[in-house]
Amino acid sequence: MNSDHLLSLLLGVPALGAFVVFFMPRQWARALRLTSVGFMLAELGLSFSLSSADYTDGGYHFVEKVSWIETWGISYHLGVDGISLWLVLLTTLLTPIALFVSWTSITTKVKEYALSFLLLELAMLGAFISLDVFLFYVFWELMLVPMYFIIGVWGGPERVYAAVKFFIYTMVGSLLMLVAILYLVGAYHEASGHYSFDLLELRHLIIPRATQIWLFLAFILAFAIKVPMFPFHTWLPDAHTQAPTGGSVILAAVMLKLGTYGFLRFAMPLFPLASQLIGPTIALFAIIGIIYGAWAAWVQKDAKKLVAYSSVSHMGFIALGLFSMTNHGVNGSLLQMLNHGVSTGALFILVGVIYERRHTRLFSEFGGLAKVMPWYALFFVVVSLSSIGLPGTNGFVGEFMILVGTFTSNAEVGFGPWGRVFTLFAATGVIFAAVYMLHAVLEIFWGPITHKANETLKDLTFREVAALLPLMALIFWIGLYPATFLDRSEDAVNGFVQDFNAKYEASKSDDSLRLWGEPEAPADAPPADAVAQGDDAPSVAAAAAGGAR
Amino acid sequence: MNELLYERALVWIILLPLIGAVLNGLLGRFADKNLVSALGVGSVAGSFFLALVCFAHLFTGMDAANEHGAQIAVTAYQWFHLSLPTFGGGVHEVGIDVRFLMDALSGLMTLVVTGVGLVIHVYSLGYMKEDPGYARFFAYLNLFLASMLILVLGSNLPVMFVGWEGVGLCSYLLIGFWYQTPAFAAAGKKAFIANRIGDFGVLIGMFILVSAAGSFEFADINSAAPSLTQPFFLGTWQMGTLATAAGLFLFLGCTGKSAQIPLYVWLPDAMAGPTPVSALIHAATMVTAGVYLTCRLSPVFMQSPVAMGVIAVIGASTALLAASIAVAQKEMKRILAYSTVSQLGFMFAAVGVGAFSAGFYQVFTHAFFKACLFLGAGSVMHAIGSHTDADIFRLGGLHKKMPKTSWTFLLAACSIAGVPLFAGFFSKDGILLGASELAYAPEPLSANWVGGFVLVALSLAATMTAFYMFRMYFLAFTGEYRSTGEEGAAHGAHDHHAYDPNPHESPDTMTWPLIILAAGAVSLGLLGLPTEWHLTNWWQGWMGHSIASVHAAAEGAEGAEESGLTIAYWTALASGVLAMAVGIGAAYKLYYNRADDRFRDAMPGRLYQLMADKWRVDELYQRVILGPLAGLATFVGWIDQTFVDMLLTRIPSKLALLSGFVATRIQNGRVYAYGAVMTVGLAVVSWFFVTPHPNLEGQAEGATAHFEAAAGMGYAYRWDFDSDGTWDAPTQGSEEGFGAERSPSHEYAFSALRGRVLLIAQPDGDDARVLVTEEPRPLPASLLPAGWMEDPTGDATLPSVRLEGTEIVLRRNSAVFSTPHGAIADEEVHLGIGDHVIVGRPETSRTDIAVRGLVEATVEVENAFGNRAHESLELVVNVPPERSEPAQARLTTATDEVLR
Repeated sequence: MNSDHLLSLLLGVPALGAFVVFFMPRQWARALRLTSVGFMLAELGLSFSLSSADYTDGGYHFVEKVSWIETWGISYHLGVDGISLWLVLLTTLLTPIALFVSWTSITTKVKEYALSFLLLELAMLGAFISLDVFLFYVFWELMLVPMYFIIGVWGGPERVYAAVKFFIYTMVGSLLMLVAILYLVGAYHEASGHYSFDLLELRHLIIPRATQIWLFLAFILAFAIKVPMFPFHTWLPDAHTQAPTGGSVILAAVMLKLGTYGFLRFAMPLFPLASQLIGPTIALFAIIGIIYGAWAAWVQKDAKKLVAYSSVSHMGFIALGLFSMTNHGVNGSLLQMLNHGVSTGALFILVGVIYERRHTRLFSEFGGLAKVMPWYALFFVVVSLSSIGLPGTNGFVGEFMILVGTFTSNAEVGFGPWGRVFTLFAATGVIFAAVYMLHAVLEIFWGPITHKANETLKDLTFREVAALLPLMALIFWIGLYPATFLDRSEDAVNGFVQDFNAKYEASKSDDSLRLWGEPEAPADAPPADAVAQGDDAPSVAAAAAGGAR
Repeated sequence: MNELLYERALVWIILLPLIGAVLNGLLGRFADKNLVSALGVGSVAGSFFLALVCFAHLFTGMDAANEHGAQIAVTAYQWFHLSLPTFGGGVHEVGIDVRFLMDALSGLMTLVVTGVGLVIHVYSLGYMKEDPGYARFFAYLNLFLASMLILVLGSNLPVMFVGWEGVGLCSYLLIGFWYQTPAFAAAGKKAFIANRIGDFGVLIGMFILVSAAGSFEFADINSAAPSLTQPFFLGTWQMGTLATAAGLFLFLGCTGKSAQIPLYVWLPDAMAGPTPVSALIHAATMVTAGVYLTCRLSPVFMQSPVAMGVIAVIGASTALLAASIAVAQKEMKRILAYSTVSQLGFMFAAVGVGAFSAGFYQVFTHAFFKACLFLGAGSVMHAIGSHTDADIFRLGGLHKKMPKTSWTFLLAACSIAGVPLFAGFFSKDGILLGASELAYAPEPLSANWVGGFVLVALSLAATMTAFYMFRMYFLAFTGEYRSTGEEGAAHGAHDHHAYDPNPHESPDTMTWPLIILAAGAVSLGLLGLPTEWHLTNWWQGWMGHSIASVHAAAEGAEGAEESGLTIAYWTALASGVLAMAVGIGAAYKLYYNRADDRFRDAMPGRLYQLMADKWRVDELYQRVILGPLAGLATFVGWIDQTFVDMLLTRIPSKLALLSGFVATRIQNGRVYAYGAVMTVGLAVVSWFFVTPHPNLEGQAEGATAHFEAAAGMGYAYRWDFDSDGTWDAPTQGSEEGFGAERSPSHEYAFSALRGRVLLIAQPDGDDARVLVTEEPRPLPASLLPAGWMEDPTGDATLPSVRLEGTEIVLRRNSAVFSTPHGAIADEEVHLGIGDHVIVGRPETSRTDIAVRGLVEATVEVENAFGNRAHESLELVVNVPPERSEPAQARLTTATDEVLR
C-alpha cells in the first residue's frame, strides 16, 4: 500500500462501497448489510494505519495536494494532524457500529440506508481531512444530504418535519459561511495577488479588525448551529428523537464534532483578533448552554430527548475549553470531543435497545429494568457515569482539563479576569449532569417493574454487546490512560495555541490587510512526483513575495 | 525486604479489592456462593495483611527518618498533565501522576479502612446470607474498599479525587442496593447529588491550589502553604486570601462527603442501605474522608483564620443540631445516623480549632465504636427479622435474649458517651481541650469566641449524645420484650413487618466482629493518653509526622513549654465528664426498665415534634432550593420548546412562507407569461456567456501598475499596456498575442506616458484630476482651497497650467504657491512628474498639488466562443523623468531635492 495516498484511499473505500452497493439488487438485504459493514470495517482497519505517523511535530501528515480549479487556487489538499487524527478514527469506528446496531431495526429500503451511511462516512471523513476551504465546504454540505434522508426516510412519526428543520437550519448557517469564505479568498487575493482556498495559505492572512469580526461571526454561526450552541440548538432534539438509532449515533457522535472542529481549525486561526474579542461572549453562551441544556434534559419525558439535551450541555464544555486558549484547555476540549462521541454514541445505542423492544422511549413506560436486564443496566450505568464525568472514566479527564484550562485562562489571550468566574458557573454543570443522568437511571432501572410488557424483556443480544464493547473499552482506556490520545494531539494543539498567540500579537499591532509569517511547507512533504503535480498551483514563495509590496 | 517490595505491596493493597470487585461483579452471578465469599473476604484480608506489613515497616523506620517521617511512595504512571502559563510567558508542566503514598496519616487510615473493612466483610457473610444479590453486594463492597484506599493513599488531589468520587458512587449503589424499593433508590440518588455538590467545591478548591502552588501533590501544596496568604481574585473582586478561598471550597466538599451543615441531609436517608454498609461506609470510613482531607492539607487551612473559624463553627453547630434530632428518633439506625452526623461535627470542630491530631483521633476511635453500634443494631434487626430498621419502643429486654450483642453494644455506648478510660473519653477530651485552649489562648488562631462557642456547643452535644445512646440502650435491651408478633400492623407507620416474637442471638460470623470492634472501642484510648498527666501520647507524636499542629507552631514561638494542668485543661475535662454524667443519668432516670417515651412527655409537645421531624430541614430545602430549581428546569424545558424554538425556527419559517406567498402572485399560471420571462432570462444568460467581459481593473504603485481582468469560461487575454495599438508581450506559441496572463504587472517607462495630470488633494481625501494640455487652462476655483489668492481683496486671476514639451508650466497669476521650504516668487514654475507644490497660504488653508503621468492600457479578451471584447483603462502613474534631464530646468527655486 502506498502510504502517500492513504487519505485518498480513505475517501475511496466508502466511495467504492457506495458504488458496489448501488449496483446490488435491493432484495439482498443481508448481503447489503454485510457488504456495507464490510467496507466500513476495511475503512476502520485502514484508518488505524494513520496512527503510524509521528505526530509530535504538530504538523500535517499524509499530505496530498493536487491543483483542482487552478484559476481560483482551489486544490484537492488533504492532510491529518494530531487534531484531526482522533476525529477521523472516531468516525471510522462509529460508522460501522451505527450501521451494526440498525441491523434488525431497519428492514425497509436497506439498500438506500446502507448507501446513505457510506456516503455519510465519506463526507464526514472528507470534512475532517480537507486542508482546502473549498473542499471542506463541499464535504460539509455533502454531509447534509445522506443525513437528511436518514432522518426523513427511516425516522419516527415526525420525521419529515425534523429532517427539513435539520437541513434548513444547518444550511442557513452554511451559506453565510460560504459568503465569508468567498470574501476571505477575495481579501487574500488583494493581499497576495493570487487566489487561494488553501487553509495553510489563508491562515497567513491578517485582516482588518472590523472585517474579521464579520467574517468570524459568519463562520461561527455555521459552526455554532452544528455544535449546537445555545440558542441555536432547537433542531437537535427534534432531529434526534425522529432519527433512527444509527442516525442519532452518527449525528451526536461525529457530526456535532464538526462544529467544534470548525472553531478550532478555521474560525479561530483565521480570525484571531475577532476570536479573542468575541471569545468570552461565546464562552458565556457555552456556559448558558451547559446549565440550560442540563436543566432542559432533567425535565424530559423521553429518554432520547434527555440524551439530546445532554449533548447541548456537554458540547458547551467543549466550546468553553476551546476559547480558554490554554494548552490543556484546548487539548481537553479535543479529548472531550472524542469522549462525547464515545459516551453519547453509546447512550443513543442503549436508548435504541429499549426502543427496539418496546417501541417507546418514555420514562413512564419503564422502571425496574435492572431486574430483567442486568447486563443492559450495567452498560447503561457505566455509560451514564462516563457522561457524568466520574473519575476513572473518559468524561472526567476531558472535563477536568477543560475546567482547569478555563480557571487558569487569565492571560490577555483567553478569558482575562473572567476565567475563574466562568469556571465557577461551568463547574455547576458537573452537579446537574449527575441530576439528570441519575434521574434517567432511576426512572428506567430502579423501583419495581410497573409494566407487564417489561417483565419479559430480553437482555442485550450478542450483537448489541459487540457493538457496545469497543465503546466501553474506550471509556476506561481514555479514563485511565489518556496519554495514548493526548500525547498525539498535544503538539498540534500547542502549535495551534502558539500560532494563535503570535498571529494575535501581530494583528493587534497592525491589523492592515497583509500576509504574515512565512507559509511553511507541510511536515512530511509528498515525494518529488507529487510535488510536480502540485507545482502548477500558485507557489508559496510567490504568495509571500506578492504580499511584501 | 527492600523498598521495592513495599512499593509493590502498596499497589496490591488497592488492587486486591479492585480485582475482587471486578470478578464478583461480572462473574459472581454465575459462581458458587462460597467462591464469592472467599473472593470477597479473601481479597480484603489480603489487603489488610499487606497494609499491616507496610505499616510495620513504616513504624520501625519512623523515628530514624527525616522530618516528614518514613513513607512508602510509588508512582504507577503519569495520568495526564497540564501546562500552566507562567509569568514569564513560559509554560510550567504540572504532571498528574497516579502516585500512592503511605505515611503516618494515610498509614493509620489504611489500617482502619482495611481492618474495619475486613471485620465488616466477615459480618456480612452472615448478615447477607439469604440475599439474592449476594455477589453484587460483595462486588460493591470491594469496589468501595478499593476506592476508599485510593482516596487515602493517593498522593495528590486528582488521584484522591478518583477515590473521593469512587466512594460516592459505591455509596450510591449500596444505599440503593435494594433498588426495587423506590424510596431506597431515591435515597441513593440524593446521596450522590449531595456529594456531587460537595465535589464541585473540591474541584474548585483544587484549581485554586494548583494555580497557586503549581502542583497537585499534597507535599508540594503543603510546603507552598505560607505563600497562600496572597489575595484571591474572582473576576476583578478580591475574595479573601487564596488559603481562605481554597479552604472554604474544599470544606464545601467536606460538608458533602462528611455530612455537615448544609449538606448533611443525605446521610440519615442513606441508612436505607444494608446495615454493614451503614457501619462501614456511612460511619467508619467514607464519611470521615472530609476530616482526612482537612488533616492532609492542614498547613493550608492553618493559613486561613477565616476558613478555620467557619469549619469550627459549622462543625460544632452540626454536632449540636444532629444530636438534638437524635434524641427524638425512634429507630436504632436512624438514631445512629444522626449520631454519626453529630460525631463528624465533633471532628470538624476539632479541626477548626486547630486540634487536627485530636480530630483525627476521633476518626479513629469513632470507626470502632460506631461500627460496633451499627453492627449491633444490625444484629438486633437480624434477630427480629427486619430489613429496614428497629423501633426501640417495640423492643426491650434483649439483654437476656442476645447477651453478646447487648454487652458489646453497651461497651460501645460507654465509649461514645465518654465514660472515663474508654477510647471515646480520650478522643472527645482532646477535642474539648482544643476548643478550650482556643478560648483561653492569648493569641488565638481564629478568635477566642470561636473556641468558647465550640466548647459550649460540644458540651451540650456531648450531653445529648450520652442521653440518646443510653436512651436507646435502656429501651432496647432492658425491661421486657414488647413485640408479640401481632401488633405490627398497629405500629405499622414505619415498619409494616411484625417483629419476630422470639429474637435470638446472631451467628458467630456476626458476633465476633462485634467483640473485636468493642474491644477496640474500649482499649484504643491507650494510644492517646493526655500528656497533662505526664503520660505518653503516642498518637500525637505519631501524627506529628504528617499533620501540622497549632502546638508545634506555638512551641516554635514560645519555646518548648511543657503543657501542664492548665485552666483550659480543667475546663475541658470538667465539661466532658459533666456532660457524660448528666446525659447517662437522665437516660437512666427516664428509661431504665421502662417502655414509654418519658422524655417526650417531659418536653413541650411542639418542640419535641420539631425535633422528631428533624427540624424540618428537608422540607425547607425542598421549598427553598429543590422546588424552585425543579420549577426552573421545567420552565426551561417549556421555554425551549416554545420561545427559543419559535424565535429561531418558526418565525423565520413563517417569514419565508410569506415571501413565498408573495412570489406565488407572479406565478399566475399563464404559460405565455412564463414563456416571456423565460425568453428574456435566457437571452440575458446567453448574452452574458457569449460575450466576453474584460472588466479591467488596475492599480498603480509608482511606475508599476497591476492589472487584473475578469476570469471566465475559456478566456484568453492580450495586453497593450500603452494603448498604442500594438499588442505587447505576445505569449509564446499563441496566436495574435493571446495568453493566459490575467493579472499582469507592467512597469511604465517615461516615454510611454500619454499625458500629464495634476492631482489636487481634496478635503474628502480623494484627488481631483486636471489634465494638462498644450493649450493653457485655468485650474477650477472649486478645486482650490479658499485662501488660494495672494491678495484676497484685489482682483484675482486663476492660476493656469500648460504643457510645454515634456514639462508642465504652472502660471501663478494671483495665486500663492509654496514648497515646504517657502513661497515661490516666480510667475511661472516648471514642474516634472513626481514634483509637488502647495497652493494656498500656509497659515490658513492649503492644498497639495502633485504632478503625475497618465497612461492607458488596453486588454482584449477572447472567450470560448471566439468572441472578443476589449476594454481600456487610464491609470495615473508616477514615472520620474530620465536622470539625464537637467533638474534645474524645471524648477527654479532652490528646493529641488526636497521636491523630488
